[in-house]
Amino acid sequence: MDNVTLLMEGFSNALTLQNLLFALIGVLLGTAVGVLPGIGPAMTVALLLPLTYALDVTGSLIMFAGIYYGGMYGGSTTSILLNTPGESSSVVTALEGNKMAKAGRGAQALATAAIGSFVAGTLATGALVFVAPFVVAIAIGLGAPSYFAMMVFAFVAVSTVLGASRIRGLASLFIGLTIGLVGLDGTTGQPRLTFGQPLLSGGIDVVVIAVALFAVGEALWIAAHLRHGTPATIPVGVPWMGKDDWKRSWKPWLRGTVIGFPFGAIPAGGAEIPTFLSYVAEKKLSKNSEQFGHGAIEGVAGPEAANNASAAGTLVPLLTLGLPTTATAAVMIAAFNQYGIHPGPLLFQTEPVLVWTLIASLFIGNTLLLALNLPLAPLWAKLLRIPRPYLYAGILFFATLGAYAAGMQTFNIVILLILGALGYMARRFGFPVLPIIVGAILGPEMERQLRRSLQISAGDPAALLSEPLAVVVYTVIVLFLVVPPVIKALRRRFGRGAPPTSGPSTDQFDAFGTQTSDGSARVIQAVRQGRRGK
Amino acid sequence: MTAPSTVPTSGLRARLQGRSELGVAALLAVIAIVIAVDTANIRHTAINAGVMGPQVVPTIIAIGLGLCAIALAISVLRGGHADAEDGEDIDLSQKAHWPTVFGLGGLILVFALSMDFLGFVIGSALLFFGSALLLGSRRLVWALVIGILLAVGTFYGFVLGLGINLPAGLLTGIL
Repeated sequence: MDNVTLLMEGFSNALTLQNLLFALIGVLLGTAVGVLPGIGPAMTVALLLPLTYALDVTGSLIMFAGIYYGGMYGGSTTSILLNTPGESSSVVTALEGNKMAKAGRGAQALATAAIGSFVAGTLATGALVFVAPFVVAIAIGLGAPSYFAMMVFAFVAVSTVLGASRIRGLASLFIGLTIGLVGLDGTTGQPRLTFGQPLLSGGIDVVVIAVALFAVGEALWIAAHLRHGTPATIPVGVPWMGKDDWKRSWKPWLRGTVIGFPFGAIPAGGAEIPTFLSYVAEKKLSKNSEQFGHGAIEGVAGPEAANNASAAGTLVPLLTLGLPTTATAAVMIAAFNQYGIHPGPLLFQTEPVLVWTLIASLFIGNTLLLALNLPLAPLWAKLLRIPRPYLYAGILFFATLGAYAAGMQTFNIVILLILGALGYMARRFGFPVLPIIVGAILGPEMERQLRRSLQISAGDPAALLSEPLAVVVYTVIVLFLVVPPVIKALRRRFGRGAPPTSGPSTDQFDAFGTQTSDGSARVIQAVRQGRRGK
Repeated sequence: MTAPSTVPTSGLRARLQGRSELGVAALLAVIAIVIAVDTANIRHTAINAGVMGPQVVPTIIAIGLGLCAIALAISVLRGGHADAEDGEDIDLSQKAHWPTVFGLGGLILVFALSMDFLGFVIGSALLFFGSALLLGSRRLVWALVIGILLAVGTFYGFVLGLGINLPAGLLTGIL
């Protein structure tokens, strides 16, 4: 019960009046920004990061926890009321949620999303309390070869498993690694890709990379194809649920939590798969399966719970191994690094107070979110009607501010523009953004672990396979890479399951006409195929 | 604001689309070459002589990018193409409106270059105003007022709330 004691200590740290105020501000701002159309949780967190610069570590992490959950909840509100998921994880929510809103049941959809997120977030954070020390105990005994293997695993997962195109995913990853290369080499101090520019020798700030890829890239991309006139939003009252809605929601919440947490906790990343699995499971189990596709509440309750549980799950590899597997987690690493904190197994030993305060503030943020967002939902819904020119001009305003404040350098704004152009290209040509940011953040760390592995063995590459976990991980990677093409080949041979040669026709988009750049295309495709099969 | 772009014949457009993705493959190849050249120029010092010098990882990345460039080029030539990202505010039936994109990029660049002279408040208010106009706002006064309020509010928020001094530039002494 050691963790519980530590957690209680964390609560006593987090529950000061000042810290509660930070949590409140975080939740409010996170939701307000997250609810804006086109802004996903990762962009919310990146844009609001400068706000925490002046706070002390504890205060800023607490505010951050609020922003994190607020941003995610804001994203589901947008999905339900406007049908525009900001991140792949809320794509599935939009499926039934928007149908419910159109049928005049928006209040219930928002309520089941909010309460489901709370239930799942709380349970999953509870699971984190017990799982994390366990993982730390194992991780502390792992050497560089295992870490290197897990990073390669995370790279392969984000670039080839989640996206729609492997070549583009891998290209994104290598571009990210290239960005991570810029600066002085950590071990030898040799400049790499600095082109004689002294301002580049410290490397490119992760905040600048994140804001450029998520905010500037998105704003430029939308500017190029801006749909004129504001899309119709659905006005909504204070969320509430009837007895029947509760009855239909609580089981999906729990199932969603159970599905979501493990998927977040393995460093393969992404809430995309668990939300989709939850959707399919609820559709199968529901007595009202004929309502699916027309606004079934189970189809919102389950995936929303899965989404939040997996978000809490991603904190397991993030805090215990230092492995970010979602875009939001990648930005969080940037926030940690600002204070010279490097997540990993040692963090629990060197900064136990900090870690447990952070975990405690996750519970607090989650509770505040529920308390605030139910009454404030109609206000958030009004934010959806903000005129688009102001919205995207505002995004650029805050993006440049964030980049500048990251080092008080105008040079950062120039970098922001260049990487923003990269983000534009990624959206234009279907390159996933997630591998870029994960590659840029993990690249230098991976190099360090690789060096360590080889140092111990005096350069013998066999050292990379010297730990059992490493061997297991490489085996899984090979399976990941080999099995899907084999299945595809078999299908092409024996069945009519060949992928369509032409692009998806427009009528397939009407379910929810959107796809996000971080790899949700595949889920959409799968859902669509399921629909048509019915 | 919807500038009617010249609508090319569908055949030409399809060919252009194919060609633009080849451009991406070429860009990847160029980046690979840049990394390779940069890596070749890393000075060899005694400290590099360890087990794994600073050249190893860049070399791997350069090779990886090069392979991706080739694979992408082959995939595009065989008719593969990716779908551009769609969204509620995005109308993919229009061609990209380049004046807006380059206008916004130019504004950001001017903002960066003029920061020290104009200061944050004037620069960022103009950035907001200009961006809103480029994005199709017709209410000039409103855009300007919102821009000024945002800029002044942020300036004082940072200075008073966060203790971070943003450059005041031309308005030094006034703010």
